[in-house]
Amino acid sequence: MVRPYVTLEDKFIPVQGMVACLLDLAQQRQLNQHKLLRGTGIFAEDLLRPEFYLSLSQLLRLLKQFHRLMPGRDAAFQLGHRLFPSPNAETSAILYSQNLTQVLRLLSCFRLQLAPLLFAYHYQHNGYSYLQLNDAVGMDEQQYQFVVELYCCLLVSASRHLLGERIPFCFEFPFPRPRHIYEYEEHLGLRLAFDRPSLTVKFAQQWLTHPLLQASQLRRQLAMQQVSKKAFKQTFIEMVTHYLHRHRQANLQQVSEHLNMSMATLKRRLKEHNLRFSQLQDRVNMQQAFHLLTVQGLSNEEVAEKLAFHDAPNFRRACKRWTGLTPTELKALALGK
Amino acid sequence: MNFALLKLHPRMIVLTLSMIVLAFVLSSTIGTVKPWGQIDWWDVLGEGGIVLLTILWQFFLLLSRPPGRVTTLLTVGLCCFMFSGLLDFLDEFFRYPEDAWLPLIENIPAPFGMLLISRGLYLWYQEMQVLNAQLRRREANVREHQDVDWVTRLYRADYMREQLRLQLEQGGRCCVAVVDIDQFDAFNRRFGHPEGDRLLREVAELILMNARLTDLVCRYAGDRFILLMPQLTFAQASLQVQQIASAVKHLAFKSGDMAVFHTLTTAVVEAAENESCNALLKRLNTQLAQKKVTKQELHGATVCHARG
Repeated sequence: MVRPYVTLEDKFIPVQGMVACLLDLAQQRQLNQHKLLRGTGIFAEDLLRPEFYLSLSQLLRLLKQFHRLMPGRDAAFQLGHRLFPSPNAETSAILYSQNLTQVLRLLSCFRLQLAPLLFAYHYQHNGYSYLQLNDAVGMDEQQYQFVVELYCCLLVSASRHLLGERIPFCFEFPFPRPRHIYEYEEHLGLRLAFDRPSLTVKFAQQWLTHPLLQASQLRRQLAMQQVSKKAFKQTFIEMVTHYLHRHRQANLQQVSEHLNMSMATLKRRLKEHNLRFSQLQDRVNMQQAFHLLTVQGLSNEEVAEKLAFHDAPNFRRACKRWTGLTPTELKALALGK
Repeated sequence: MNFALLKLHPRMIVLTLSMIVLAFVLSSTIGTVKPWGQIDWWDVLGEGGIVLLTILWQFFLLLSRPPGRVTTLLTVGLCCFMFSGLLDFLDEFFRYPEDAWLPLIENIPAPFGMLLISRGLYLWYQEMQVLNAQLRRREANVREHQDVDWVTRLYRADYMREQLRLQLEQGGRCCVAVVDIDQFDAFNRRFGHPEGDRLLREVAELILMNARLTDLVCRYAGDRFILLMPQLTFAQASLQVQQIASAVKHLAFKSGDMAVFHTLTTAVVEAAENESCNALLKRLNTQLAQKKVTKQELHGATVCHARG
């Protein structure tokens, strides 16, 4: 049976794309390629070999080296600006899409090929779209922030390329205001909030139907014929998160039964991504709660019920445990920006 | 490490090596080897350390300076100092006859070398005066080389924040401006990022040329530069920023056989009484963002103007 998820060691990431972009930029900044590749398990002579693919853990190690060696604090942003469009069929399909709705659909189909390190949930409410982005591989804090900078910059730069104008995105980051805030302001705009429970990108819904500059149905269909069909679809964290989204308060046993694996294997697989089951469950619930409370404006009782808590005080306690703030304080935080 | 400068110093390297060889030859021809038991290993460690560190200093000196009078004086001085140290070190291993001349003169090169080093340091001071004058407008009163941006060789935003904070603490009139290259993204896409980097460097030069000697210019982020202009009124500062904008507007940047013209979006603010650095930068960036929006509405999303 084919595994329905990709592990950190599966080799499926082509050199063409992010890796090539990164190596190019490093070369322009005169980094030593040997130093850059040291400890990543990638060898310079492999790069040109056909059928050479990187694993997620190799990509993560390469990004870490890159982050460490690049001068200045804008390495992630510089790379983010260069990533789109990259020469592969999936990207071409996006380039020739009708509008952003179609782009988002393609993104979710080819997520692992286009953006393997983060996955997103898309919500719409009151004329606004919300993209809630999650860590798909289990990174440490420093690397997570780097990757978040990278993908947010990619989002801004790619949408500008597709639409010909800059979408006024609002960003909420789950980490404190960084020292190099000026890079954020320059590359992502001024609508920034820090210390939030989850990474959320908000933009007006009207942009979803705005026609793209290069829209072409024929060329998109041609590109779609080229995309690899049997590609991996999701990481392990992503798969478990999806299940937890559909089955609130499912416990370890239920999840392992659903995935057809023993509880020990499930735990071990999560541990490979530096996660414990309860951590993941808390994260899913917290993000849901934050969304329901602050975006949809539900009351504590309604949220408690939706998230399958016994009662509102129980939910209040859990909320305090996740974020250090009560539901009311969370609401105030969102309003106070 | 970058060893490019080392290749420019063949004579200095030969001098150092021949001094080392000379010391060994002199000691071994005049003296006889001491028995193992009579060697004082503490002396060996101490004196050997001095010699090794002096050689290391010489190495870094040659690595970091192009040839010239200052470099020669410092290297020759260090060489003399090292020669004395090395003789001192070697006499731990060699016993000299009673009437040998070598132990009598072994300490003479050291003070001579120190005199040369002192002369070299004085000339270095003069040289730095010249270099500091060259660095004006790029640097305030603090030097932190790790804060220098790789692309433009200007200081980065961190440095500016610190200088701005100091300036605001001191009080007194000052204006701050940001300038942002329009459609830099489109330029990068069309001509490639290496050309974009080159454009940033050239624009940085133009901004420097149009700033006063007392101003400080830093790269803020991406295609945005920031200027600190002490003792200028808002009107004077705005005029200066306009002059920068018109200088950039007339720059025919050559990319291949094309001349590409660029415009700037600018914002200027005057520091208010007791304003914090963050508040001021926020005011500045908000103003710039508004101007960008109005500009986009006026002209639409035009790609950079290129003429063959």
